[in-house]
Amino acid sequence: MLTYDILIVGSGGAGLYAALESRMEEDLQVGVLTKVYPTRSHTGAAQGGVNAALANLDPTDTWQDHWFDTVKGSDYLADQDAAEIMTREAPMVVREMEHWGCPFSRTDEGKIAQRPFGGASKPRACFSADKVGHVMLHTLYEQGIRHGVNFLNEWQVLSLMHDGQRCQGVTAINTQTGRVHTIQAKAVILATGGHGRIYWTRTSNALGNTGDGTAIAYRAGLPIKDMEFIQFHPTGLRRTGILVSEGARGEGGFLLNGQGERFMSRYAPEKMELGPRDLVSRSCETEVREGRAGPEGEVFLDLTHLGRERILERLPQIRELCIEFEGVDPIEEPIPIKPTAHYSMGGIHTDLNGQTPIEGIYAAGEAGCVSVHGANRLGGNSLLDILIFGRRAGKHALEYARNNSFTPVDTGQEEADAKMIASIMEGESGASIADIRRSMGNLMAEKVGVYRNGKDLESAVSELADLQEQFKMVRIQDKTKAFNTELVAALELKNMLDLAEVVAVGALERNESRGAHTREDHPERDDENWLAHTMATLGDDGRPKLDFSPVTITEFEPKARTY
Amino acid sequence: MIEKITPVRKSILANIRIQRFTPSEHKSAYFDNFKVSVETGMTVLEALRLIKNTQDSSLTFRAFCRSKICGSCAVRVNGKPVLACSTQLMPILEDFKKDSVSIQPLKNMPVLRDLVVDIEPVIEKLSKMHPYLMENRERIPETLEEESIMSKQEHSRFDYITDCILCGSCYSACSAASADPTYAGPLTLGKAYRFSADVRDSFQGERMQAAVDQGLWSCAQCRKCINVCPKDTRPAVSIQRMRKMSIDDGIHDTAGSRRAKAYTGDVAKYGQVNKPMLPVIVNGPKGWAAIEAAENYLKKHGIEPTLQVCTLGGQSSTQKIYDKVKELESKGENKT
Repeated sequence: MLTYDILIVGSGGAGLYAALESRMEEDLQVGVLTKVYPTRSHTGAAQGGVNAALANLDPTDTWQDHWFDTVKGSDYLADQDAAEIMTREAPMVVREMEHWGCPFSRTDEGKIAQRPFGGASKPRACFSADKVGHVMLHTLYEQGIRHGVNFLNEWQVLSLMHDGQRCQGVTAINTQTGRVHTIQAKAVILATGGHGRIYWTRTSNALGNTGDGTAIAYRAGLPIKDMEFIQFHPTGLRRTGILVSEGARGEGGFLLNGQGERFMSRYAPEKMELGPRDLVSRSCETEVREGRAGPEGEVFLDLTHLGRERILERLPQIRELCIEFEGVDPIEEPIPIKPTAHYSMGGIHTDLNGQTPIEGIYAAGEAGCVSVHGANRLGGNSLLDILIFGRRAGKHALEYARNNSFTPVDTGQEEADAKMIASIMEGESGASIADIRRSMGNLMAEKVGVYRNGKDLESAVSELADLQEQFKMVRIQDKTKAFNTELVAALELKNMLDLAEVVAVGALERNESRGAHTREDHPERDDENWLAHTMATLGDDGRPKLDFSPVTITEFEPKARTY
Repeated sequence: MIEKITPVRKSILANIRIQRFTPSEHKSAYFDNFKVSVETGMTVLEALRLIKNTQDSSLTFRAFCRSKICGSCAVRVNGKPVLACSTQLMPILEDFKKDSVSIQPLKNMPVLRDLVVDIEPVIEKLSKMHPYLMENRERIPETLEEESIMSKQEHSRFDYITDCILCGSCYSACSAASADPTYAGPLTLGKAYRFSADVRDSFQGERMQAAVDQGLWSCAQCRKCINVCPKDTRPAVSIQRMRKMSIDDGIHDTAGSRRAKAYTGDVAKYGQVNKPMLPVIVNGPKGWAAIEAAENYLKKHGIEPTLQVCTLGGQSSTQKIYDKVKELESKGENKT
């Protein structure tokens, strides 16, 4: 049996920060289990910035300003004590990253450069050209090598184990060999990222953002929180969902429907294309619903009127991205786009130290939910979240593992998981993974997407139950043990189907519109009844059971969110 | 003014040839052909996924971010290492004027299955290179209350390398790695240089020695790594700079550094390289054996060898070039 004092599942920013923090004094064995190689993790895709009130650009910026912006951005669903910790500690973690070698861009005085960001009252997003997530991820990986963190690369986690009170460890399959293992650990930190892939092709997320950690926590009886809140970004490329950043609209790009009309004049006649993300996403979606889309249900981001010179000078990266991923040169023709699921605000319920109700089990980053993002995340706060709560979870787990012994564990779960895999591998006749996945993505985008209503959500819940039934018979053609990516896809799909159901059930229950959650049949925010976190646990009938818990309000009374 | 938008989207029925190999089932690699309707906008990765979803679900490849930042999906397309996710198929089909394209795994690494190679050996080489910053306390404060100060110019010395996504394309294309499996490879040496060029780092000596031990002077400067890098990180340039840095650091006892010094010294002195003496300078007294062998060979073919190197004219121009290089170096302009 493999044994680690602390096992971290997931190798993005939160996982690596937690690993580094708990391995710094090199007295405990720390392992990071990841289904990819650490530097492949999705943290690397974050381009814009990490928020911290360093006041390098605007000397009047304070962490309290950042705190308020975060709470307001969350539509008052963030816990204000959690948001306080995050914004107060932000300058410290950003400096720590810098001291570890993270190459942030610099100001003329040689300090960390900062820039303005949507929803922020001061310029406080620290950046490194357009690759800040990438350089942060590499820095954490490099320091992990230095301090002797163990990496289990290309392993897929299967189950989370506890005795009802304390953590026992996990089971996982080594993809390279196809063997199932029990890994005993005093503490497990789940840092597996978001679950945007429940929208399958309609997401900006990596192919592997399938919510594995969140799903195994849910199946192990842990509560998962605020799952109905999914942030949509208005301008994902038609084919792949890859983001075309706000810069294109900031530079003067037009949004056109299939008929060539600049449709934002209908929805935001003053701000036009520069309205907030959620409003622009809803506007695009309305055009499609009302039959004014292009030939494949897309709308268009048009830059052609800016002219070749301006595009080459100001938007070269966006142009390259459109050519490489969509085969479209924005100098010549409009870019086809669709709103795309971008960020999962919800996740595994934790306290301020990242700990779940089970001792020794932690969650951090997009997989976890403290909550600091509430109903809508502010740009530049996702990278901050992973640093702050990765670090706090790592610190707390370190103390916990130093002071506690291993909880006994047998191989029962390993045997059950091996049997589950064998039964998946036997599937010969049912629908293919690709078919079920496509159906799931389409129905989530149509019925649990940018717009939601009671009737569609009810039908989504029942269709998802059908897909779960279909999954039981899923067809697997690849019978090879080693490096079976079809099996991995099946395990991911199982996780996504569980989470998609919780998202849909939560969205159906929440009879209000708040942040990223828009109910056509309940268009207003309802603080009287819904200023509350949704807590979902797996019920005895195999369906999600919902409870609600109060939001912590310490400083800012809820007000209407206007920009 | 308002005009209906009708995008032009073409489609070609293409033959995608993919190299297959499952070690437990096959003795050697072979090719499978798949017919795919390639549309405008389709990337190599999309074609691979389409084949996996609709034709053969056992087709094995790596992919993750599908947006050119994670480095998982590097493969060879018509022989050239590329990222599958950021390579459009239509232009390749049109350029080659054929309806067929081949997709193979990267070279210089063992194949685990189909298009998946074992990158573990490369990661091990990287780990031995001390690829991390060791705090220079003259630059990095002890406390988290302050940040370290690094000028834009100091940052620009290594910023271009931090784009590296460890995809392995350069390693696949590398002539030195294919000739010598112990050679560290372009990406690992690039990463080593990235830290050695960082003013916040204090670890120069040991990392430099690790680079020298792992083949800093084995690079043939063929610059294939520069051609194939999807992020334009120019590893061969970093290797050159690392070599110079190692000499400046006092690591003179390598064949490579002796050769480099002989080149620059000779050109300054004679206006050309004193080739007959190179074997002795590089390999010490045993180099004389090579010189004798060369002399004998030339004599056998009726050519009179000369150990005399003549001084070429234009010394003052040479000196000017040297001065200019020194000036640029001190300004740091050649570092970016």
